[in-house]
This record gives sequence, structure tokens and C-alpha cells, in this order.
Amino acid sequence: MQNKKRVLIARLGMDAHWRGSVVVARAIRDAGFEIIYLGNQTPEAIVEIAIEEDVDIIGLSTLSGNHLILAPKVIELLKTKKIDDKTVMIGGTIPPDDVPILKKAGVAGVFGPGSPLDKIVEFVAKS
Amino acid sequence: MTNLFNKTALDELGENKKTWQDKFDKSKKMENKSYQTLSGIPVKPLYTPADLPDMDVLQDLGFPGQAPFVRGVHPTMYRGRTWTMRQLAGYGPPEETNKRYKLLLDEGATGINGIFDYPTLRGYDSTDPVAQADCGRGGVAIDTLEDMRILFDGIPVEKVSSSLVTCQPICNITVQSMYFANAKNRGVDLNHLTGTSQNDFLMETCMATAPGVLPPFASFKLSCDAIEFCAKYAARWNPISFAGYNYRETGCRADQEIAFVIANAIACIDEMLSRGLDLDSFAPRLSFFLNGHNDFFEEIAKYRAARRIWCNIMQNRFKTKNPRSQTFRFHVQTAGVALTAQQPLNNIARAAYHALAAVMGGAQSVHIDGYDEGLCIPTELSAITALRSNQILQLETRVTQTIDPLGGSYFIESLTNQLEEKILNIIAEIDQLGGIVKATETGWIHNQVADASYEYQQAVDRGEIPVVGVNCHTMEDEVLPIELFKVPETLDIQAQKLARIKKERNKDEVQKAIADIARGCEKNENLMEIIIDAVQSFITEGEITDVLKSNYGVWDPPLF
Repeated sequence: MQNKKRVLIARLGMDAHWRGSVVVARAIRDAGFEIIYLGNQTPEAIVEIAIEEDVDIIGLSTLSGNHLILAPKVIELLKTKKIDDKTVMIGGTIPPDDVPILKKAGVAGVFGPGSPLDKIVEFVAKS
Repeated sequence: MTNLFNKTALDELGENKKTWQDKFDKSKKMENKSYQTLSGIPVKPLYTPADLPDMDVLQDLGFPGQAPFVRGVHPTMYRGRTWTMRQLAGYGPPEETNKRYKLLLDEGATGINGIFDYPTLRGYDSTDPVAQADCGRGGVAIDTLEDMRILFDGIPVEKVSSSLVTCQPICNITVQSMYFANAKNRGVDLNHLTGTSQNDFLMETCMATAPGVLPPFASFKLSCDAIEFCAKYAARWNPISFAGYNYRETGCRADQEIAFVIANAIACIDEMLSRGLDLDSFAPRLSFFLNGHNDFFEEIAKYRAARRIWCNIMQNRFKTKNPRSQTFRFHVQTAGVALTAQQPLNNIARAAYHALAAVMGGAQSVHIDGYDEGLCIPTELSAITALRSNQILQLETRVTQTIDPLGGSYFIESLTNQLEEKILNIIAEIDQLGGIVKATETGWIHNQVADASYEYQQAVDRGEIPVVGVNCHTMEDEVLPIELFKVPETLDIQAQKLARIKKERNKDEVQKAIADIARGCEKNENLMEIIIDAVQSFITEGEITDVLKSNYGVWDPPLF
């Protein structure tokens, strides 16, 4: 059990769409990882729970367009708290131009619309 | 009425069909795979009268405008009045969305379809710390009555029919009240207003949800308050639009989409009857909002089956003789989930097929998605192109000339029957679970939708459901051929307005408004009757939400 990677899945801010986050969470769980599913949360709460639950990966989901504000905020909070053992990934409607911005901010994996589930699972497995 | 086909003719047909079937079965050209609709109904290569041996044309189909309304809800259908072209719009502050509304109306849109930003839909003010990052996104920001005044400034609300996509009752109870209060302030009698509010408790508690929403019973109560209010004071307003569209976007199948909207409507009717309302005073105003998805023929069958089921339920379960209470009227939006971010111009073709099916299925109004909606909210060019697709369908293709043009097709009628059966089974299951509110409280609906969406995504990933540009016919290093929409500055504008309003408004009036709403909650009164007056004090949406949540509590939906 202890060797199982722990993955937190949260939706950023007020975004209302849960389909993607739940489908991805199920796929990761079915691949043998542990899922902590939060639903919507603020960056502060996401980081706090990630530390409490000792997760390895933080998966963010958003389709509302808030990704450039809230995803870097999560990274910033992790840095402030000097946490460097957690990988952050994001999925949702991320326009191609925003991908390099998110990567530069420190988001390790960006999965836009149409991303196959096995690519996301593979990312989790390799992280 | 007897059957259309006699036994001798069917037997003769059967023998001839065998000859064809032999050739078909021996052909080596066919792939060995299973054929079925997206909701899992097996599909044959050919349909004949043998698939409808018992079809009773009068009983099963009727005529347009006649029970069971399979062929359409009006006798004249598109000959009398074509579908309303109601293109969804909303972003940024109300000042900006007002311009988009006017543009669409100037370009020939025949109704307004207004969507609100995430904080507004959830009942938050723009300036709330948890809401700020989403202010102006996905819709227009509304905080007070002043925003509603600006949103409809210069638009003749007494003439233009407005659909308010106030999905969640916690939003609707305030925002619809603001729309009505604004109309009153402009001297318009509420009974003259035409339009629709979405107001669906499943949206709040199941489909577009988050932790800390109102519990299902409370959200359902607010939704029913609006239905009751309109039955009494706004006779031409559709106070609810059961949002099957969004259920489908969240991941359910066509059969679940119809079963869930109808189970939801049954619950609303039961509640209204228990409040002492006469069935025919509100039932004709219950309206539906459906998804136009990929499976062309199944979608057409879906619209037709929904009409028959609704008519039968209204006649047999609720015993109404009024034809207006038996008609299933619906708006269709083309499927957002079917759009791709890759090769976005392909979405123009996709959405056109979706809309064609909606019209073949007798929709009352149609929104066609913009080609860029897999990536962002529509640009002006994309919004106009979508409107033009709607206009091309209406004006150039001549599909409006004949009512229910696929009625009588062996395939369509057979599919309509089979889909009807699947839908009725789900409705019966929900009845057994104690109705839609119970089925939501236990998480049954959430699970059903999550299962269906997971299965769908796995089928896409396995390549069983082709998606052009995503799992086939992909392009390496594609350069986006379109400009993406940038949401205009919203938070500063809303924050300044809110600061000014909070300074200028009469604090005693606001306190009285809060006290009135709290008392209404305690005494279980109709809250729309109270809030429609309360908003005149410039109380904010967030302030109203606070009162509601402190009275009803909050609920975390069982999503995972």
C-alpha cells in the first residue's frame, strides 16, 4: 500500500465541469494508484490538503479559463512552503498558447482537450 | 385503427428480404464489427415494415399538433413559424455582453440566450475572494439589479424573448428576480414578458456542481418557487428548462438524458400539485433543453420519443386533458462535448449536422455552437458564423417545407420505439428509488452519469468511437487557424460598481431585505415573491446567497 503513488485531483476555482476530472480520476485509480478527489478548491486549500494527504501528484482540472491565474498560484504556494516533492499536472480547455506559460510556471504536465487517458496515466506512472 | 401492413404483404416481404439478406451475409466487403447507437441500441443494415408490424399510425404517431405529438407539437410546425435562432452569449461585464446581444439581434438572431459567469451561477459576488479568478468567465458577471439594467439597456424586453441560462436555482432565484424587477422598473407588465429561465436543481446538485452547494431539497424548493411565481404572475414565462443538454455534456447517454429530464419534471409537477396549484396553470410552461449530439438518427428518434413519452405521462399519470400540458417543447444546443480543439474549423460541419438532426426532430429553438468552443468562448466571427449556419439551415436547405420528414421511416420509427422503451425503464427505476430528488441525494444519478462518461471516453480512447482530428486524421504540429477570444477586463469594473453601489444604497433597506428573505426561509414561503422586491434595495447576489446557505446549509455532492 505504501508504495502506491497518491494522486490528488481538484477542480480549480469556480469551474463547473466535473466530467473530465472524474473520468481522469477513475482511469488513474483503475491503473492502480490512489486518488484523493477534492472537487472545487482554492489553491490554498489544494496545497494544504496535498501536504496533509502526502500526495505525490497534484492534478488540476479547469475548463473555465482561470488556469493562468490559479495554476501558477498553486505552484507559488508550494514554493513558499518549500515543498519540492510534488508534481503538478493540469487538464482542461487549455489553449495551445498557454501551454508554454504553464510549463514555465512549473506545471509539469499539461493535457488539453482530446488527451487520451493512457497518456495521462503514463505521465502519473513516470512522475 | 388497424395495422398499416397486412399479414400476406408482410409474409411476401419477408421472403423477398431473405434473398437480399443472403447476398448481404455472403458479402466479403463488410467489416466484422457490432453496429449500435451511442446509447447501445443494435442497428441493422436495413429496416422494413417487418420492424413495425404493429404500428398504429393514428395511435402511435398522430398528426402534428395532435396527441401523442410524435410528429410535432404544432399543427403547422415550421410552415407556421420557424425555430427561434437563439444563440448563446455572455462574457465579461454586462456592458460588454449588452453589445454582443445587440450585435446578434442586428444580425438576425430572433431571441436572446444569456449565459452568466461562474460566480454568478454559483451565487457569488464578483469580488468574493474565491470567485475573483472566474469573474467574467464563461458568461456575464451580475452582482446587483444595476448590472441587470445595464445588460438589457436599449433592448426591448417587452418584445424580445429572453432565455436566462440561470442553470442553478441558487442563481435563478436572484437573477430571474432581477430580470423581472428590471422589467417592472421599465414599466413592463410581467405577464407580457416572454422567455425562459433554466432553473434546474440537478444542475446545482449533480451536473455542474461543487462542494458546498445547497442540499438537493433546498435547491429543488427554490426551483419550484420560480415555477409557482410564474404560474401566478408571469403567465408567458417558462420558469424552468430541464437541462438535459448539460446532463449529456456531463456524460450521460441519450436515453438517460430524456429519462432524467422527465423524472425531474414529474417531481416538479408533484410538488406544484402539493402546493395546491392547478396542473394546467403551470404544466404548459414546463420546457426542455436538449443536446444535439453525434448519432444523427438516434438524436432524431430521441426528440420524437420524448414527445410521445411526455404526452402519455401527462395524459395517464397526471390525467390532464389539456393538449398544451401534453406537449414536450424544447430548445436544442449542439453538443459542446462533440467539438474538438484540434482542427477547430471542422466544428462548423459537426454543429451543422447536430442542428439538422434537431430540426428533423422538430425543435422549437436551436443554438449552434461556435467553432472555437473547444478552446474558448466564441469570438465575434465564430458567433456570427454559427448564427449564419442556423440561417443557412433555415433559409437555404428547404428542410422547413415538410413536417417531420422522417416520420414513417422504418428505421426512425423502430429506433423511436426502442429508445422509448429504454427511457421508460429508467424513469421506472427512478420512481422505484423514490423520485429524482432522492436519487440525487443518494448519489445514484452522479454514478450513472460518471459510469456513462467513463465508458464513452474509454471507447474513444480505444478508437471505437472515431473523433476526426483527435483519434484519427490527426495533424502533427497543427497551427491554430483561428484567433482566440480574450475575456475583457471584468473584475475591476465589477469591483468599482459594487463599491459605489454599497456606498450609495440605503443600508436600512438592505437590512430589511435580508431579514425578509431569512423570514421567508424560516416560514417556508415562496422566496421569489420576496426576492423580487428585495433586489430593489441593491442587495447583492452574494448577500442573498449567504442568507439562503445559512438557512438551508450546504451539501457536498457524492461525485467520486
